[in-house]
Amino acid sequence: MKALKLSKEAKDKLTKLEELSDKAADGDKKARGELRRLLRESGSEVVREASELARIGQWALIKTAARGEALAEEALVIRLDMMRSEIAGPDPSPLEVLLAEKIVSVWMLTELLELLLSAQLTTELPKSQRMSHSFLKFYRGWQEQAHRRLLSAIRELARVRRLQSGVPSSQTNVQINLLKPDGG
Amino acid sequence: MGWEKRERGGSYYTRSKWVNGRVAREYVGGGMVGQLAARWDELERHRKEEEAARWREERERLERSAGFLHALAAVAEVLTRAHLLAEGCHRHKGEWRRLREST
Repeated sequence: MKALKLSKEAKDKLTKLEELSDKAADGDKKARGELRRLLRESGSEVVREASELARIGQWALIKTAARGEALAEEALVIRLDMMRSEIAGPDPSPLEVLLAEKIVSVWMLTELLELLLSAQLTTELPKSQRMSHSFLKFYRGWQEQAHRRLLSAIRELARVRRLQSGVPSSQTNVQINLLKPDGG
Repeated sequence: MGWEKRERGGSYYTRSKWVNGRVAREYVGGGMVGQLAARWDELERHRKEEEAARWREERERLERSAGFLHALAAVAEVLTRAHLLAEGCHRHKGEWRRLREST
């Protein structure tokens, strides 16, 4: 699989946004205005490209998790679609769309790692297919890292929503349901 | 692991192993016993190499599949920060807060 990357144009726009953000964070009011303008002009474009990248990446993870089973592939695609719209909510801003894609992508990775580890822990697995202890440790580390990433992505979306709405944090209750429909 | 020549003639098959943090040599035997042990060790080494290569490949495949997450995380981080700053928020001791409107 070819490495999934952003285009040079998108990277340049991100660099510009980063530079203006640094200036705005230092209290430069002109930079803040310029940042607002640039986000209006090219923010959605960068989000669109990153979302596209996320979709292709999610598909690669689905393929790995489904191991060639068409039904499992189809079920995962539907599951991700449902999650995506549920997390992004009605009429989402471009940033909410991107953060929802990030949550869905990391969720897919955590599910995949869970699946791989569960398969390793079944007693029926032939000895030749069992992971060595060091690989098992590596997978466990990856799984923990993915889980941390998932929680941080959810927090990020909640923070953006809270600050965009202008409601103080103590009165905000953001709920994102990541449970499977059967409750598992 | 290997064959060692003895002063009074003939060869002896030996194995090296770690004992209390030091390499210790274990003398297995010569003749047919040595030959069998050497063959067994060779097969075992081959099996371990194949197994390591298989898991390395699996690990690389997974890393490639999840590689897009780094780019996605970077874009999300830059855009989130830019949006919050543009909306009039600022970071105070690691926490994002809304700037007070100046009157």
